[in-house]
Amino acid sequence: MSITDHRTRPTDAPVRSASSGQPSAPWLIVTLREVTVKVRDKSFLITTLVTLALIVGSVVFAGIMGDKTTTATIAFEQNGRTAALMASANELALANDRKVELVSHPVPSGTAVLEALRAKDVDLVLAPTPDGYSLTALKEVPGSVQSLLGDAASAQALEFNAGKLGVSPESLTAGSTVSPVLLDGDSERNSMAMVMGFIFSFLFYMSAMIFGMPIANSVVEEKQNRVVEILATAIPIRQLLAGKILGNMILAMGQLCLFTGIGLLALNMMPTPVPFVSVVFATAGWFLAFFLAGFLILAAVWAALGAMASRTEDLQQSTGPVIMVLVAVLFTGIYAKGTLLVVASYVPVISSVAMPIRLLSSDVPLWEPFASLAVAVAAAWAMVLFGEKIYRRAIMQTGSALSWRKALKLED
Amino acid sequence: MLEVQGLTRRFGDRTVLDEVSFSVPADGMTGFVGANGAGKTTTMRIIMGVLKSHSGSVYFNGTQITNTDRARFGYMPEERGLYPKQQVLDQLQYLGQLHGMSRTDARTEALDLLDRFGIADRTKDKLESLSLGNQQRVQVAASLMHHPTALVLDEPFSGLDPLAVDSMTKLLAERAATGVPILFSSHQLDLIDTLCDNLVVLAGGKIVASGSAAELRARASAKHVVVTPPDAGWLREQPGVRVLDVAGPRALVEFTDDATAQRVLRTAVDRGAVTEFAPQRPSLAEIYREVIR
Repeated sequence: MSITDHRTRPTDAPVRSASSGQPSAPWLIVTLREVTVKVRDKSFLITTLVTLALIVGSVVFAGIMGDKTTTATIAFEQNGRTAALMASANELALANDRKVELVSHPVPSGTAVLEALRAKDVDLVLAPTPDGYSLTALKEVPGSVQSLLGDAASAQALEFNAGKLGVSPESLTAGSTVSPVLLDGDSERNSMAMVMGFIFSFLFYMSAMIFGMPIANSVVEEKQNRVVEILATAIPIRQLLAGKILGNMILAMGQLCLFTGIGLLALNMMPTPVPFVSVVFATAGWFLAFFLAGFLILAAVWAALGAMASRTEDLQQSTGPVIMVLVAVLFTGIYAKGTLLVVASYVPVISSVAMPIRLLSSDVPLWEPFASLAVAVAAAWAMVLFGEKIYRRAIMQTGSALSWRKALKLED
Repeated sequence: MLEVQGLTRRFGDRTVLDEVSFSVPADGMTGFVGANGAGKTTTMRIIMGVLKSHSGSVYFNGTQITNTDRARFGYMPEERGLYPKQQVLDQLQYLGQLHGMSRTDARTEALDLLDRFGIADRTKDKLESLSLGNQQRVQVAASLMHHPTALVLDEPFSGLDPLAVDSMTKLLAERAATGVPILFSSHQLDLIDTLCDNLVVLAGGKIVASGSAAELRARASAKHVVVTPPDAGWLREQPGVRVLDVAGPRALVEFTDDATAQRVLRTAVDRGAVTEFAPQRPSLAEIYREVIR
């Protein structure tokens, strides 16, 4: 069927140039509409920007917090013991990357140091006491400063007391170390996989809701107010569905690429190098591929559900099972371990997060993600055909909402 | 010309359309009337391919209708509402594009139609913010966008004020004049009377009358008004004349045939003054009421 088919062009009706019958690529027009309507939608724009800001913000915040150096000006009466403590504390901070800097503010003995504190010339006052030191502040002693000075003071005391006993300081602390031994993998990698798994699961859940649910809604909207009857006489109904799914998929992928891209960029620009960045990058690619297949399956289901409903309210009931699957995906991403995770990584839709998580947490042979992706793509193809069948049959039905069984029994 | 032949459609055990056949000529507008549930909407949906018939066919210009034909038709479904939350101009443009128009052509045409309906200032508004009458105008505009080769309009006039009906009938008459067959359903019999060149009457899923308005009027029982002062009572004795009513010089009669009418006229003239001898043209509304009785 093409626009050159003039077999049935009416002889008694002049056709104005405006109409040439069907457009050459109707699905493209539908796709473009889906995208433009969504992109112009204020709430969609705001959600996207806020999420983006949150992603960048949290990465930057983590970076800044990790990198921030606390500086404190400390007043003390000039005597050997306190000055030595200040010096050794700064050395300790430097050696252990403690991100604390102490600025010395020595004052002659007998001066009212507390006056300097009240005048806010200094942040803290350090003074020797019979059983150690006191650290005075107006309202609050920064924890990092207190623990640094505490560590320095106990080292000083250890050295002093050891000297008094005539033994080395090391001999006094011997046997007091507790070091962790890991039998099961790399703790840093495991926690990274946990965090990334959570992020992937959440992104999948969010995208499926933000872009999947509207497929069902827009299908039922068109059905409810009969626009679909006008659309279906203008273009083949399959093209309408294809355009709709494609449009939302482009939006979902676009948003997802934006989120992951910006997130990874921010991660890469952090001053301190993040471990396993290369694994994360590679897995993000897999995640996008798996997402595509998973989303396609859900899109077909959403479209069928939309076509079977008769009013928007019907969707609240019928979408329950899909949302259950999505929640299962979310929890698999967060909690699944071992064999369960391996099985999940081959179940379409769930594999969209389970396989990326496996790739993150351990070294998986390359054929596995390919095999799982093939399963997911095959399932997506079958589901799209099935969804299209339901959609085509149910969309023109008037009256009450249809069940799956009724929808399948409908004539073409 | 648009023709339906022997359309039958059942919903479950209920036969909604029973061997429905009629034609929609290309010259003028065809009114489609019938009580609620008579099968008008079902017929229109079958013509547009939205619903399948269990038997019978639809022909367009002599050949079985194809989806390519239908894509060039203009259709207005029963329950309205394009996209409530979308701008008026945007959605008209979208529908135009789906009918194979270019973006700019669709835009120009939409603006032109909205202007003709007097709502050119509402183009950027969301459809749902318009009054029902204005939404209806947009809906009609949507069906006219692509200069359709035929129009199938389900209740296009419902909910319109008289001025809107005027501007729309004018537009539809223009399209009809270019040889576009127009089928529209309506419950407003007065409108059907002034607007229709053809009439199709459906009752209980069956066609009870169809044809051009002139034919139907001629076919309807030919009543005449005869005024012969001082008294028209003599008409009662004339063979072939059924007197329905006499009031002094004025009588309402029915002749068995045209020859009788001519004979009676001559007799009347012979008898004296004849101030009126006129066939009483039944309105299509009357014809409708008569045939569905």
